[in-house]
Amino acid sequence: MARNKYDIDETLQVEFNYSHLKRLGRYIKPYRKDMAMVILLTTLSSALGMLTPRILMEVMDVYIPNGDIKGIVLLSLAMLVIYFIISVILRMKITMTSRLGQNIIHKIRSDIFEHLQELPFSYYDDKPHGKIQVRVVNYVNSLSDLLSNGIVNTITELFSLVFIIAFMLSINVRLSLICMAGLPLLMILIFIIKKKQRVAWQKLSNKSSNLNAYIAESINGIRVTQSFTREQENIRIFNELSNEYRTTWMKAVKLNFLLWPAISNISTWTTSAVYVVGISWLDKGMTGITAGVLAAMSGYIGRFWQPVTTLAGFYNSLLTAISYLERIFETIDEPVLVKDKEGAIEMPPIVGEVEFRNVCFSYEDGVPILNNVSFKANPGDTIAIVGPTGAGKTTIINLLARFYNLNSGVITVDGIDISDVKIKSLRKQMGIMLQDSFLFSGTILDNIRYGNMEADDEKVIEAAKTVRAHDFIEKLENGYLTEVNERGTRLSVGQRQLISFARALLADPRILILDEATSSIDTETEILLQEGLKHLLKGRTSFIIAHRLSTIKNATCILYVDDGRIMEMGTHDELMNKKGLYYELYKSQYQFL
Amino acid sequence: MTAMQWVFSFMKRYRAKIVFALVLTTITAVINIVNPQISGVVVDDVIKGGNREILPRLIIIMILATFIRAVLRFWFLMIFEQTSQDMLYSMRDHVYRRMMGQDFAFYSTNRTGDLMSRQTGDLDAIRHFVAYVIYAIYENTLMFVIALAMIFVVEYRLALCMIAVLPLTALVTFRQLKAVKPAFHNIRQHFSSLNTFVQENISGNRVVKAFAKEDYEISKFNRENDGFREAELAASDIWKKYVPAFEFLANVLSVILYLVGGIMVVNGSMSLGKLVTVSGYLWMLNNPLRQAGWLANDYQRFVTSAEKIYSTISVEPSIKEPDHAVVRERFKGDIEFSKVFYQVGNEKILEDISFKVKAGQTVGIIGSTGSGKSTLMNLLCRFYDVTSGEITIDGINVKDLDLHSLRDNIGLAMQDVFLFSDTIEGNIAFGRPHSSMDEVVRAAKIANAHDFIMHMPEGYDTIIGERGVGLSGGQKQRISLARALLKDPPIIILDDTTSAVDMETEALIQEELSRIREKHTVFIIAHRISSIKDADLILVLDGGRIVESGTHESLLKMNGYYHRVFHHQYGDFDRYALMNEGKEA
Repeated sequence: MARNKYDIDETLQVEFNYSHLKRLGRYIKPYRKDMAMVILLTTLSSALGMLTPRILMEVMDVYIPNGDIKGIVLLSLAMLVIYFIISVILRMKITMTSRLGQNIIHKIRSDIFEHLQELPFSYYDDKPHGKIQVRVVNYVNSLSDLLSNGIVNTITELFSLVFIIAFMLSINVRLSLICMAGLPLLMILIFIIKKKQRVAWQKLSNKSSNLNAYIAESINGIRVTQSFTREQENIRIFNELSNEYRTTWMKAVKLNFLLWPAISNISTWTTSAVYVVGISWLDKGMTGITAGVLAAMSGYIGRFWQPVTTLAGFYNSLLTAISYLERIFETIDEPVLVKDKEGAIEMPPIVGEVEFRNVCFSYEDGVPILNNVSFKANPGDTIAIVGPTGAGKTTIINLLARFYNLNSGVITVDGIDISDVKIKSLRKQMGIMLQDSFLFSGTILDNIRYGNMEADDEKVIEAAKTVRAHDFIEKLENGYLTEVNERGTRLSVGQRQLISFARALLADPRILILDEATSSIDTETEILLQEGLKHLLKGRTSFIIAHRLSTIKNATCILYVDDGRIMEMGTHDELMNKKGLYYELYKSQYQFL
Repeated sequence: MTAMQWVFSFMKRYRAKIVFALVLTTITAVINIVNPQISGVVVDDVIKGGNREILPRLIIIMILATFIRAVLRFWFLMIFEQTSQDMLYSMRDHVYRRMMGQDFAFYSTNRTGDLMSRQTGDLDAIRHFVAYVIYAIYENTLMFVIALAMIFVVEYRLALCMIAVLPLTALVTFRQLKAVKPAFHNIRQHFSSLNTFVQENISGNRVVKAFAKEDYEISKFNRENDGFREAELAASDIWKKYVPAFEFLANVLSVILYLVGGIMVVNGSMSLGKLVTVSGYLWMLNNPLRQAGWLANDYQRFVTSAEKIYSTISVEPSIKEPDHAVVRERFKGDIEFSKVFYQVGNEKILEDISFKVKAGQTVGIIGSTGSGKSTLMNLLCRFYDVTSGEITIDGINVKDLDLHSLRDNIGLAMQDVFLFSDTIEGNIAFGRPHSSMDEVVRAAKIANAHDFIMHMPEGYDTIIGERGVGLSGGQKQRISLARALLKDPPIIILDDTTSAVDMETEALIQEELSRIREKHTVFIIAHRISSIKDADLILVLDGGRIVESGTHESLLKMNGYYHRVFHHQYGDFDRYALMNEGKEA
C-alpha cells in the first residue's frame, strides 16, 4: 500500500458490520451487571416521576375542593420524599454511568495501545504519526458518552416506549395504530439518509485525522519551517485542511439535524390524524370511543414521541461513533507480521555467535533489498558494515534484531534460529543504537535509564562516563536532572547520540549494534569513547555501521555491502591488499590531500 | 486581555448572526409554548365541549406551527453550527499562526502532545460552547422568564413564592461553577499528558522496540490512561452533587406551587382555575432548572479550555520582528561576529566569538561535541538572540533585519534532519513550493540525491514517512541538503550535513558544491577534516570559544586540536601510501 500523507484520506479496510457491534458488546459485557443496575434505577426513577402527576391530580381533584389543608401538606411532603429519592437516584446514575463509560473507553484505549506496541516499523512508516495518535486519543474519547449515557438512556427509553405503547393499546387499538403509523414513515426517512450520513461522518473522521497529522508535523518540524520561512505556505495548507474539516462537518451535522424536524412534523401529523379520525369515530358512535378515551390518547401521543426522539438522537450518535469505531477496530485488527512463533522459547543467555545463511529480504514485493547474504561472527567479534548509502546496511541489522521477517534464509544466534525464540527475549539481550537518536521527554537520567530500569543512579552515571557524556551533562544547569525534549532539542545531535549510546550500554547487551551511532560525535570524543568501550566490549559481539573509516578499521571483520550483497569480506589489511571496493573507499578519503 | 476577552474578540464578528439566531430561537420557543395549548383546546373545546367547527382550523394551525418551528429550529441550529465552525476555523488559524511565530525556546519547553491538545480537544470545547451552550442557556433562561412572567400575570403572589427559589439556585450554580473548575482543569491536564505520552510513544516506536520495552511502555501508558479516567471520575464525583440538586430544586417548585397554591385556593384567595393555568406553565420552569447543572458544566469546560489555549498562545516570543526592520531582497553575504556571548541561565554556551567572513568565502567549523558549533549558526539565523556582542550581515545587525528576509537569505541544512511525510519533490521544494521540477532536480543533483531518488519506485513522487523514516541517514541528509540548496540563498549553512554519507558520495557532493561556492557565503560544520579542509577560514571551537583559527595548512602547523584530529583521521595514511607505492613499484 502506498504511503499516506497529511492530505490523503485513508482507505478503510473493513466497513462497520454486525461483528463490530458484537465486539462492542464484548467491551460492555463485563459491566452488564452495573448496566442492568443503572437501567433498573433509571426505570424506577421514571416510574416515580410518572407517579407525581397522579398525586397532583389527586390534590387538584380531591384535596383542594375538599379544603383539606392537612392532606395537601402531607401529600406535598410525600412528593418531596419522592423527589428526593429521584435526585438520589440521579446521583447514583451519574456515578455509575461515568464509571461505566470511562471503564469501557479505558479498556478500548488500552487494547488499541497494546496492539500498537506489537505493530512493526512499517506500520509507523506508512502514515503520519498524527493519524495513529488521533485514533488512540481523540477517536476513543468521542465514544465515552455513547457507551455510557447513550446506552443506558436508550434502553430506559425503550422500556418507556414499550410501556406507553402497551397503555395506548389498552385504551384503543385502532387509534394507537394510527399514532404508530408515523413510525414506518420515520424509518423510511432514516433509511434514505443513513447512507449519506455514514459517508459524511466517515469523511469527517478522515478530515480530522488529516488535520491532526498536519498539526503534529507542523509542531515537530517547526525549526525547518522557520528556517525556510515557510510559515505562510504552512498557514495556507493548514487553513485548507481546516476548511475541509469545516465543510465536511457542516454536511454531516446537517443530515443529523434533519432527523429532529422530521420527527416533530410526523408526530404532529399523526396527532392530527388521531384527532380527526377519532372525532369522526366518536361522532359515528363507534364502540369504545369516548371523549375520555380521546383525551387520554392525546396525552399519550406526546409521551410516545418523546422516547422516539431520544432513540433517534442515539441513532445519530451511533452513526457518528461508528465512523470512529471502525477505525479503532481496524487498528486493533492490524495484523502483527513479526510475532513469536507458537512454542517459541526464551532466548538463553547469548554467548555471541551470529550467523547469516543465504538471507534474502525485501520490504516490498519485487524490490529485493538483501540478496543471499551469508556471514558468520564469533563471540567477541566486531563486525563492521560499510558501503554506499542505501546498500542495505541498516537492513542487515534490522533483520538481526528481528524487526522484520526474512523472505528466505536463516539467521542464528548461538546456533539457534532467531525466528524460534521470543522476540523480546532476543532484543533484551541486544543493545541497539539506531541512526535516529530519539530521546523521550524527561530528565537525562531517565533517558539513560531507559536501557535498564533497575539501574541505580551510579550505574547510569557510569554508563555516561564510559561514553564520555558525563562531562557535558555535568556542565548543564541541572546536570543529570536536566529536562530534555522528545527530540532532545536542548542538546546537539552529537550529545544526543552520546546519551542514546549510554542508554544502549546500560542495557548490558550481549550483542551491541551501532548504526551510525557516532556520526555526529567529534573524533577526539570518539576515540576516548572507543577506548572506554574496549574493555567493556570484551567478549561481546558487536556490529558497527559507520562512514568514518577510523571508526571501523580495527574491526575483526569488515563487510562491504552494495546492492544488497556482500561484495567483500575480511579484515582491514586483507581488504586493503585485495585492492577492491573497500580499498577504493578507503583511498577516497585521502584523495583531497 | 483575558482568555474570555480573547474568545469574545472572535465572537464579535458573528454578533449579528448570533443575535439573529437568538431571535429565531425566541420564536421557536414561543411556538413551543403555543402548541401544547392548541392540544389543550382540542381536548377541552372540541372533544369534550363538542365544538367541532374549529377543529380543521386548529389542526391546520398546529401543523403549520410545527412546520414553521421545525424549519426555524433547523435554521438557527445551522446558524449556530456554522458560526461555531467559522469561529473554530479562525481561532485555529490564529492559534496556528501564533505557534508558527514562536521561538525555539518555546518549543523546547512545550511538548508536542500538549500543543496538539490546544488545537484539538481544547478548541473543540469552545466550538461546543458556541454551537450549543449559548442557545441552550438562552433558550432555557427565556423559557424560565416567560413562564415566571405569565405566572406573575396570573397570580403574582405565587410567582413571588417561586422566585424565592432563585437565590438558592444561584447559590448552587455559583458553588458548582467554583467546584468543578479545578476538576475540569485537571481533566485537560491529564488529556494533554495522555496525548503527549501517546505521541511520543508513536514517534519513538523504534527505540521502544529496539529496547524491547513494550511492556514498560504499556505499564506507563496504563498509568496515563488510569490518570485520565480518574480525572474524569473525580470531576463527575463533584458535579454529581450539584446536578441532582438542580433536579431537586426544579421539583421543589412543583411542590411549592401545589402547596402554596392549594392553600390559597382553600383559603379562597385564589381560584382553582388560576392554579390549573399556572400548573400548565410548570414544565417551563422545571426543564430549565434541570438543565442548569449540565449547562454549568459545559460552561466551565469551555472556560477551562479557553484559559488553557490562551495561556499557551499569549506567550510572547522572545525573538521578535524589530520595530524598524531593514528589508533586503538579497544579501551580499559579508558576515561578522564581534564579541558574541551567549548563555542560557548560568550556562555559558558561547564566549567571546569574533570573526569575519567576506561574501563568497567558505568557513569550516570543527570542534568537540557540544562545543557550540550549531549554536553559532542558530544565532546567525536568529533562532536565539546573542546575550551580548553583535552579529552583522552586510554590516547590518541581524537584530535589525526583517526576520523573514534574514532567514530567507540563509539556506540551512540542519544537523538534525527533519523531513515531512510528503513526496520527495515536496520535501526538496519545501522552502520554494512553487519551484519547477527542473529546479528540484538540479538541487537534487548537486546534493547527489538524484540517482537514488530515481531508483525509488515512484521517483520524486515517492512519499516518504514522517521524519524521513524508511530512508537511510545519508539519504535523508542529501535530501535535506538539496532542500537548502534549492533556495539558492547567498548564505548557506551545512551543519554536519554529510556525516552519514559515505566517503565517495561526499567527495562527489563536495565537487558539485565547489562549483557553486564562489557565489555564496558557506558555513560547513563537520567532524571530518575532508569536509572542511578547503575552507577559506577554519574555526576550531572548544567549550564555546574559538581556540584555533586559520586555513588547513596554517592549522596543521599549529600542532593543536586540529592537528590532533587530522592525525587521528589520517595518521596512518603515510603507512598505506608507502605500502601501496611499494607494491605498485
